[in-house]
Amino acid sequence: MQASASAASLTPPAKSPRSLFFRRFGKEKIAIFGLTIIILFSLLALLAPVLAPYDPLYQNISDSLSPPSAAHWLGADKLGRDILSRLLYGARISLATGLSVVALASVTGTLVGAFAGYAGKWWDEGLMRITDIFFAFPSLILAMAIAGALGPSLRNALIAVAVVTWPIYARLARGQVLVLRRRDFVEAAHAVGAGHGLILRRHLFPNMLSPLLVQASFDMGTTILSVAGLSFIGFGAQPPTPEWGVMISEGRNYITTHWWLTFFPAIATLLSVAGFNLVGDGLRDVLDPRLRR
Amino acid sequence: MTRFIIRRLGGLIFVLFGVSILTFFLAQVVPVDPAASALGSNAREEQIEAYRRKMGLDQPAVVQYANYISRLVRGDFGVSIRTRRPVIDDLRDFLPATIELTLAAMLVTVTLGLPLGILAALRRNTWLDGAARLLALAGGAMPIFYIGLVLLGIFYRQLQWLPGPGRLDSTLQPPAHISGLYVLDSLLTGNWNALRNAAAHLVLPAVTLGAYSTAVLLRMTRASMLEMLGQDYVRTARAKGLAESAVIGLHVFKNALPPILTIVGILFGSLLSGAVLTETIFNWPGIGRYATTSVTTLDYPAVMGVTLVAAVIYPIMNTLVDIGYSVIDPRVRAE
Amino acid sequence: MNLLHGPRGIVKSMAVILILGMLLSACGQPAAPSAPAAEAPAAEEAAAAPSGEVSRAETLVYGGDFTDLITLDPAVVYEFGGTLIVGNVYETLVSFNPGDPTLIPVLAESWDVTEEGDNWLLTFNLDSDATFASGNPVTAEDVVFSWNRAIDINLSPAFLLTDVCAMTTESTTAVDAATVELRIPQTVSPQVCLSVLTFTTAAVIEKAALEPNMGEDMGQSWLNDNSAGSGPYILDRWDRSVSVTLNANPNHWAGIQPPMKRIIVQNTPELANLQASIETGDADIVFDLGAEQAAALEGNPDVTLVKGLSLILAYIGLNALEPPLDNPDVREAIRYAVNYDDIITLLGGNAELVQEIIPIGFLGHTGTTPFTQDIDKAKELLAAAGVAEGTEIDAIVPNGTGPGGIEWATLAAKIQSDLAQVGLQMNIQQLQSSELLNIYRAQDGKMVFMNWSPDFPDPDGNATPFASYEARSLAWRNDWDDPQAIELSKQAAAELDTERRVELYAELVDYVQHSGPYVMLYQPTRVYALRNNVQGFIYDPADSPVVSFWLIDKQ
Repeated sequence: MQASASAASLTPPAKSPRSLFFRRFGKEKIAIFGLTIIILFSLLALLAPVLAPYDPLYQNISDSLSPPSAAHWLGADKLGRDILSRLLYGARISLATGLSVVALASVTGTLVGAFAGYAGKWWDEGLMRITDIFFAFPSLILAMAIAGALGPSLRNALIAVAVVTWPIYARLARGQVLVLRRRDFVEAAHAVGAGHGLILRRHLFPNMLSPLLVQASFDMGTTILSVAGLSFIGFGAQPPTPEWGVMISEGRNYITTHWWLTFFPAIATLLSVAGFNLVGDGLRDVLDPRLRR
Repeated sequence: MTRFIIRRLGGLIFVLFGVSILTFFLAQVVPVDPAASALGSNAREEQIEAYRRKMGLDQPAVVQYANYISRLVRGDFGVSIRTRRPVIDDLRDFLPATIELTLAAMLVTVTLGLPLGILAALRRNTWLDGAARLLALAGGAMPIFYIGLVLLGIFYRQLQWLPGPGRLDSTLQPPAHISGLYVLDSLLTGNWNALRNAAAHLVLPAVTLGAYSTAVLLRMTRASMLEMLGQDYVRTARAKGLAESAVIGLHVFKNALPPILTIVGILFGSLLSGAVLTETIFNWPGIGRYATTSVTTLDYPAVMGVTLVAAVIYPIMNTLVDIGYSVIDPRVRAE
Repeated sequence: MNLLHGPRGIVKSMAVILILGMLLSACGQPAAPSAPAAEAPAAEEAAAAPSGEVSRAETLVYGGDFTDLITLDPAVVYEFGGTLIVGNVYETLVSFNPGDPTLIPVLAESWDVTEEGDNWLLTFNLDSDATFASGNPVTAEDVVFSWNRAIDINLSPAFLLTDVCAMTTESTTAVDAATVELRIPQTVSPQVCLSVLTFTTAAVIEKAALEPNMGEDMGQSWLNDNSAGSGPYILDRWDRSVSVTLNANPNHWAGIQPPMKRIIVQNTPELANLQASIETGDADIVFDLGAEQAAALEGNPDVTLVKGLSLILAYIGLNALEPPLDNPDVREAIRYAVNYDDIITLLGGNAELVQEIIPIGFLGHTGTTPFTQDIDKAKELLAAAGVAEGTEIDAIVPNGTGPGGIEWATLAAKIQSDLAQVGLQMNIQQLQSSELLNIYRAQDGKMVFMNWSPDFPDPDGNATPFASYEARSLAWRNDWDDPQAIELSKQAAAELDTERRVELYAELVDYVQHSGPYVMLYQPTRVYALRNNVQGFIYDPADSPVVSFWLIDKQ
């Protein structure tokens, strides 16, 4: 990765920043590998109804706990449900939860942070102290308390995880705004009489995008893990939903006797989270010049 | 000096205030009537009414919050609905176990993550680097509860190299209570039997809990080292003919250290989150499991207490240390 | 976040650790302000001088899920784990021998029942040898004190005394040091009340030991860390959420000398860990294994499995006022839609098929199983009742593992797919049991997955709650107010002739089976795994405690 990155910096500047981005990212072999995993999982999730050999909820008691075989490639669970089919539908849930949490948290956080940074004064002070409060909580304990209070369900777990995720975006966005505000092009826009809204929209948001994108990629992974963790202890998706954390939780009593119930959902989680982390690494290397090595 | 302390304390008080509002708000959202739960299923209507009046539950939320704060200030966290004990007693029982586990996990993180990260950077693009990076990738992406289940299955059930769940073999008496950290207490009282056993019991949960933070630290250390290795002054030092070990020690590592330490600090806080899942798997009697059981049984006085303590530990530690440090080193105050 | 910068970060980390240590030792001071004063010296003592060494050979480690353990006070305890421990530490006036439904004397050497106006008068003569572990004699005053205390505290199990026995604090009197008189109204069966008095709620606590430690909660918290009983064991310590340690009572009044000098009741909630702990020998006995764990242990030469039928019944409550369940034919259709054989298969031999309200092992159990899955019949009944295809019914289901070691969620998912076959769409909502019980008790459930465990070993412990709306128990929760069922349950409870009583219960069972608001699913077995050297283990679901630790020995 490092070798390719330094090679990238030697290439002459490309015409547009966009093609430059793709060229650089294209050189990050490991990030491309991560991206491949994500695309693969997304395709599997999208095509789940076509690919899955069974309905994820279809039970066949006579297949109860049957090991991986031709009929069930990844085996069957206690109720004889096909684990492969459940994994495929579970991919939909994991990706969708990741996306919605990150979208919710990043939009809220960015708006709050950008506003704080732009408005300054006591707005800034007040809003940042509020993010301090959220940072003080160990995220999973707060998420659990929220999910428990709202009642255990996948939707409430999403809300809980989003609540503990947004402050990081607020900090990031605020920091970016503070730096960018002093940049020439923003001051110039001010000088020619551009309004606040226009400056924020035209000049600040596009320039804030890079670090937010990096953070979002990492948070996709973190969210998938958090939601699985919440589901594992009973505060997330509810059975018979084929969510990966639920599947591991349902299979935990069989881990000594029937390993496939937990192994495959764990591997699926590992791969998808690793995919997002790799992409995040790659994006950071390409987008953030200070960290490029 | 005084101004610095006032500012830090002011910030801390604001955070604590916000944390208490948030936990209080959560307890209001819970769909369970606290009076009815506290009195059990036999309580008659008039008893429930009387309890509500006694506990001020018939008052408006603002008044209830004021009462709650005034009790908190006196160290009264309320009484757990489930255990029927003062929440503060429960926390006193369970907090040391979590602290011990967290410190052990931090030890794992630093002793594994730091040297591996340095090695990986120095042997860049070798098999060692590859293995370390793979480890970092897996540790950062594997669900922590699965790691715990698998480690127990292999090292306890199959190989029987390490003891099972819990802090101590059930047949052993815990060491005399000094700090509540079994390893420390058994060391202080010279209880070698308990020391060996408690330390052995810590290994698997500490590795499980430390897996994620080890991965993060490894990556950061490697990245930070690489960044420094590429700097001009390192090249200069090498060109000057300085021994490689001196170059690494004097220039690279020393300069790579600050961001690494920053991460160590952040990770210390994040370990508390991981403790929830680790304690569940390892039957570890800490506040993570207490929090889980309390949320599960909708025991919100306990949940309020445990989230409050969890949220308070970290900023208080930091503030105390910052204040203490600013006394020693005035430059800090400028920050 | 203001974090570590530069080398001073190291100093800072160390400072954090130091401060933590200091704070903790501050926390650790036993004389913390909110700790009850009486508790402090005891805790200090236990910490300073760990109770005498007991060899592993004389120690029994008893593992299982004791998450429900919240109290060790006989007047409050109502949970499975708690009654097991309390039953080995405290004694009642009368009890049952394992496996035998005849009352036997314990603290009372004799008793008799006479009529006195509108009341039954129960007179107990205490055994003059009986002493508490402290050496003080057990007197009538201790009995009155203990029972009245349970009534005054009025927590979970108090209804057994106040409702089932119709007792008040006026009911019990100490005639002299060795004679106790209990007066209960004639509407209560004295036989039923005597059964209730075998339960831990009626255990006798030493008044002289507890009185100085009553505090604000009538001694509830003191009894969590100390015991004041007359049983074969004494409470040594309770490490919250970890274990309870009991030591043998060296001078038990009736001369019981337990071979196991120390019992460690170990909380191990994860089934995989429980299985591992018996395989490694860390535990001597573990209980409530699932079917798969039991199967895995089947071939283990070091472990013996003991299965015992419990008295628990797993069932689904169907609210009789909620459409479409208000139509008895719809309830009957649901009973025909369920595939009971599959459920028994899923439980892997950990359950018996029982489709009535009285469990195997109780007088009055009929053994009738009229229902097997019959999709056509169920559809016919639904069509005749005018229930449209795809009608939705909300079901609430508890979290965690249900009776017989199957996850409640798995059971619910199974029945969901059975009902889908007859065109009913069952929506599952999993709830924490406390929340679920709140809904159920408020008569707000539609379909409710639950289990019932009788509070005392008599068929009335099942018949009245299941059949009588007036008892404000299960029939009430399911909004099933049926005069015929109420009348039958009353008659059967008061009937003194055993044969006639059996007939009445048969009639009641059959009536509730088809008209009632329940789908009765199964009666689970409890699976115990014992290390091979363990002897003398007996599980008796009708006894209190269900396992008598003092009978157990190791080779």
